[in-house]
Amino acid sequence: MSFNLTSEQIDIQKAAREFARGEFTKWAREADEKEYCPEVLYKQAAELGFQGIFFPEEYGGAGLGYLEFCLVIEEFWRVDPGIGQSLGSVVFGSDLLLTFGSEEQKKKYLPPITEGEAIMAAAITEADAGSDVTAVATRAVLDGDEWVINGTKMFITNGNLADYIILYCLTDPDNPSRHQRHSCIMVETDRPGFSANKIHGKMGIRASDTAELSLTDLRVPKENLIGERGEGFAQFMAFFNRTRLHIAAQGIGVAQGALDMATRHVKNRVQFGRPLAALQAVQFKIAEMATKVEASRSLLYRAASLADQGIFDHKLIAMAKWTAGETGVRVTDEALQLHGGYGYLAEYDIERFYRDAKIVELYEGTKEVEKQVIARVILGKA
Amino acid sequence: MSVWVVCEHRNGALREVTYELLAHGAALCMGAVTAVILAGPGEGEALAALINGKAERTLLVEDPSMSAFNGTAQALALASLAEGAQEPPKAILGAHSAAGMDWAPTLAGKLSCPAVTDAVALSMEGDSLTATRVVYGGKLQSKIKLGGAKMVIATIRPGSLEDEPKAASVETSIEATSVSLPSELGKRFIAWVEEAAGDVDISQADILVSVGRGIQDKENIDVAEALAEALGATVSCSRPVVDMNWLPKERQVGISGKTVKPKVYIALGISGAFQHATAMKDSAMIIAVNKDPKAPIFQIAHYGIVGDLFKVAPALTAAVRAAKG
Amino acid sequence: MKIAVFVKHVPDVAEADLEVAADGRTLKGAGLPFEMNEWDRFALEEAVLIKDEVGGDLTAFLIGDEAAEESLRRCLAVGADRAVRLWDEALSGANPFEIAAAMRGAVGDDNYDLILCGAQSSDYGYGMGGPLLAEALGINSVALVNKMKVEGSKVLVTRELEGGWGEEVEVNLPAVISIQTGINEPRYVSILGIKKARKKPIDVLDGAGVDLSSEGGKLVVESLQAPPLGEGAEFLEGSPEEVAERCLALLKEAGGVL
Repeated sequence: MSFNLTSEQIDIQKAAREFARGEFTKWAREADEKEYCPEVLYKQAAELGFQGIFFPEEYGGAGLGYLEFCLVIEEFWRVDPGIGQSLGSVVFGSDLLLTFGSEEQKKKYLPPITEGEAIMAAAITEADAGSDVTAVATRAVLDGDEWVINGTKMFITNGNLADYIILYCLTDPDNPSRHQRHSCIMVETDRPGFSANKIHGKMGIRASDTAELSLTDLRVPKENLIGERGEGFAQFMAFFNRTRLHIAAQGIGVAQGALDMATRHVKNRVQFGRPLAALQAVQFKIAEMATKVEASRSLLYRAASLADQGIFDHKLIAMAKWTAGETGVRVTDEALQLHGGYGYLAEYDIERFYRDAKIVELYEGTKEVEKQVIARVILGKA
Repeated sequence: MSVWVVCEHRNGALREVTYELLAHGAALCMGAVTAVILAGPGEGEALAALINGKAERTLLVEDPSMSAFNGTAQALALASLAEGAQEPPKAILGAHSAAGMDWAPTLAGKLSCPAVTDAVALSMEGDSLTATRVVYGGKLQSKIKLGGAKMVIATIRPGSLEDEPKAASVETSIEATSVSLPSELGKRFIAWVEEAAGDVDISQADILVSVGRGIQDKENIDVAEALAEALGATVSCSRPVVDMNWLPKERQVGISGKTVKPKVYIALGISGAFQHATAMKDSAMIIAVNKDPKAPIFQIAHYGIVGDLFKVAPALTAAVRAAKG
Repeated sequence: MKIAVFVKHVPDVAEADLEVAADGRTLKGAGLPFEMNEWDRFALEEAVLIKDEVGGDLTAFLIGDEAAEESLRRCLAVGADRAVRLWDEALSGANPFEIAAAMRGAVGDDNYDLILCGAQSSDYGYGMGGPLLAEALGINSVALVNKMKVEGSKVLVTRELEGGWGEEVEVNLPAVISIQTGINEPRYVSILGIKKARKKPIDVLDGAGVDLSSEGGKLVVESLQAPPLGEGAEFLEGSPEEVAERCLALLKEAGGVL
């Protein structure tokens, strides 16, 4: 077992770090305030090959793995979580397409993403269906050669920006198993009947777009169904096993960024005639934060590297995601504490990181859901 | 033993650093100081006159290849003079300047003798010349001994001699000589290039708000402009800002830009590398804002603020506006 | 056209606390982040631009240990065709003359038309590598170039002078050109570039065969230490608003400016 990144992985990590440091920092505050991510960044990220790192080369990707994508996400979030999420989520939903989509669908939808020509999204959550995805009520009915879709979706990342969205719809309400009533359907957002409303006022990752979707008699061809009808639940469970790796990388990135800031602050800030770093209480705090980050990172890299070998250990992945989320929240909290009153001012980046971190404990499975997944593997369906 | 000082001149005038070099040479107490003037035909006499009284001897070479600076010609000429001298110099001193960075290492290669560039101090220790150099971005200082060679070369950072020893006026003898240089030197001077004159002369400003690498991006220069507007100041910058094309060259404070001496110099996110520091250190009041408490700028600033310029500058802008009503 | 570029892997000291090793002469490098020397980034970019414009192949050279290979991989990722790394333990802490001898050794019998390097390095900043290499190869050199254009067997360069001036010089090839920062905008490394780099060769040469002894190399590092601190600035502390008020008071005291 090797615990070293390969030289290629180190180069990718460094390339992501340089790009993020060179380009994100100057936008970060404005992106947070004005709730957008500048177009130029989307363009640059695609040109530099950061979109679709884990897509096979035949779909325009770099043919690399989840670990490499995690390294990039971690570096992006370390510099700015909001912009990191905006750029990192351009491929959101592609894992599902890669795993279950037809050759034709992959060839059609994946290359434009890598070229910076398209943004993707995946929509499950509804006002009354959060962690319980079996409660999704958005209805898709087959009418001849077309699906006719009606319903609403809530908290959809990239809802206003996406060119196409994988929509989780109720297609077979009468199936006796509630895990076989849903299907995934690809929806192009320029079709009549699609509308998106930007949700303003998020606490964190404000640069990232979030929308409420409304679907009214929206028609898409029958072929837009992804994989088998009625397999939506299983597909999304497999999907989360992959995306939770990305989310874990976000938690580690935001924590590392906060740790970087805290370290700089305690070395520079002089109180009682000495830098804060000279106080043992502060030293212990930094040691604890750094250890948490490393522990979470080790767990994630292990889960991601197993995934790249084709082993999706969903217990390990859930552990990595939960731990990384908690690390993000705790470490940004401690880092803000170390900044004292300054940390509470919007002028300081740590204030933004503190707000940004929380989402990692919420989306793609709340931490409670992750714990449920872990417990179920250990204890069985008690 | 003797010391040769390679004089720098441009457009018929000696550059200030030449006088520093002569003082450096004298301070080493290694014997007579010879000023070496390499000039184009007809230019030497006037330059030699400027040396009069400041060196024991002036060695004057006039050659068409010296009409404009040519590092190859200069290195070849110096090598030939040093090797052919009856009493070869123990040390050849020059300026760590655009010219010195070209001819000095080339000469060291030709003479195969120990050389250091960019020394901030020189001293004789026993039989050896020891140079002090500033390394790692100004964070450390290194002392280098130039071994017991017959001849050594050192170039000196302009402005590094803090208290110029007042050399007693000496009788200067002028010795004209010639060197034979190959007709094809492999490079030719074509033209002087002057930066396009801008509409702003930062050297005339009373207050400068100057930005460095810490400004991070072109867009952020607004922060400095707002402060400058409130203060009635002019915006200037350090080299990286020009390198990134965030501000035009005419705004650059530094050796390759302008030397300034305003009443107030506010340095935002400038680390204070010597190329910058040397061109603004004589400002009447220097206030520096930098994230790194160990940034060299704090060594020359009168007042330092360890912090984020994006917080401090807008706060100061607001305070100035409030004060002005 | 055969083009070469020399790059150096140096510690990034911008935000680091530097410590001198127990020998009192060298830097404690452990734990410091390393990166490609800033001047060399511009030299590399210029080399790639020239290759793209006039055609030919680009070889990147580095004198350094295996860890330093990272900078060579960067060269390959942004467009160099192959890379050569030369190293021997005897080169650790080498002075400019020894480095130049190693550079000469690395070039070997290959005749390059154009060799680029950074005008200086951010660690020791001697700025001697390029000109010394040119002397060792018996070819032309020109230092501190902030603009260049290859024209047939010549290259037209602008050297940066003091006070906003420059001088245009025509140099016959082959030549070593030392590049000043700001000559171009070094690109970011792309993922595709990194992937391509993996397939390009990095030759590793044993530096033990290089004769490092020379009269010029008789430089002895006597000491490395923190510079004597001047009086330094009086530090203003507090919130940005408090600090701003202090500044305002100082500006008023300075007289005539507010």
